[in-house]
Amino acid sequence: MGGALVDQSPPHITYTEQFYEVFPYYLSIGMTYDQFWNDDCYLAKYYREAQKLREERANVQAWLQGAYVYIALDRLKPIFGLRGGRVEPYLEEPLPLTSQEAEERQRAKEEQNLKKAVAMFSAWAAKLDLPEGGE
Amino acid sequence: MAKQLVFEYEGVTYTLEYTRKSIEQMEREGFRPQDIVDKPISTLPALFAGAFYAHHRFVKREKVDEIFAQMGDKEALLEKLAEMYQDPILTLLEEPAEGKKIMWEARW
Repeated sequence: MGGALVDQSPPHITYTEQFYEVFPYYLSIGMTYDQFWNDDCYLAKYYREAQKLREERANVQAWLQGAYVYIALDRLKPIFGLRGGRVEPYLEEPLPLTSQEAEERQRAKEEQNLKKAVAMFSAWAAKLDLPEGGE
Repeated sequence: MAKQLVFEYEGVTYTLEYTRKSIEQMEREGFRPQDIVDKPISTLPALFAGAFYAHHRFVKREKVDEIFAQMGDKEALLEKLAEMYQDPILTLLEEPAEGKKIMWEARW
């Protein structure tokens, strides 16, 4: 005991260190050195958004290409002598790129199912010959 | 669009702004944003001077200090400069997805 007081505060991380940490990512999505360091700092935000759009577009293109391959294989079935067996249909839409997108799709699907169920129930109820005014 | 502070002094229009490069230079010179709270008297002029690096790199420090001495409403100035200083780092952070944001309020 009786030792000198030691500064136990966590080491201070400077903004500069944080800039350098993410700098390679921004270079990889097309930002130049000058844009990152000297231009309007909001450019980084728009580069990120543009990158998201690029990824979505690439995903749709990959999905479309997959669809063509699927159709081509389907048409070539006789050559391979494939018969019988259950053929799975191709994906209805591109795979979600993020968990957030997956959740959104799940939510949209549930909403759609609910709407379908309500419509079916309403149609069924309309067919029933129910007495007017309850009792 | 980056936040800027514009004023005119002796017929020259000055545009104050922080870029990542100017923040790097300020930190190299020993600037620490947390000192704004502990040592505002010595930190505010440095914060002000750093805002010149982006568009007025070659203005001498004496001139900057002279301008700073003439600036009115220093409390509001500090507030605005601090807000501007945060932008180069805040623009690197992802915004949470819509509907998942936690709303907050400052009580001081």
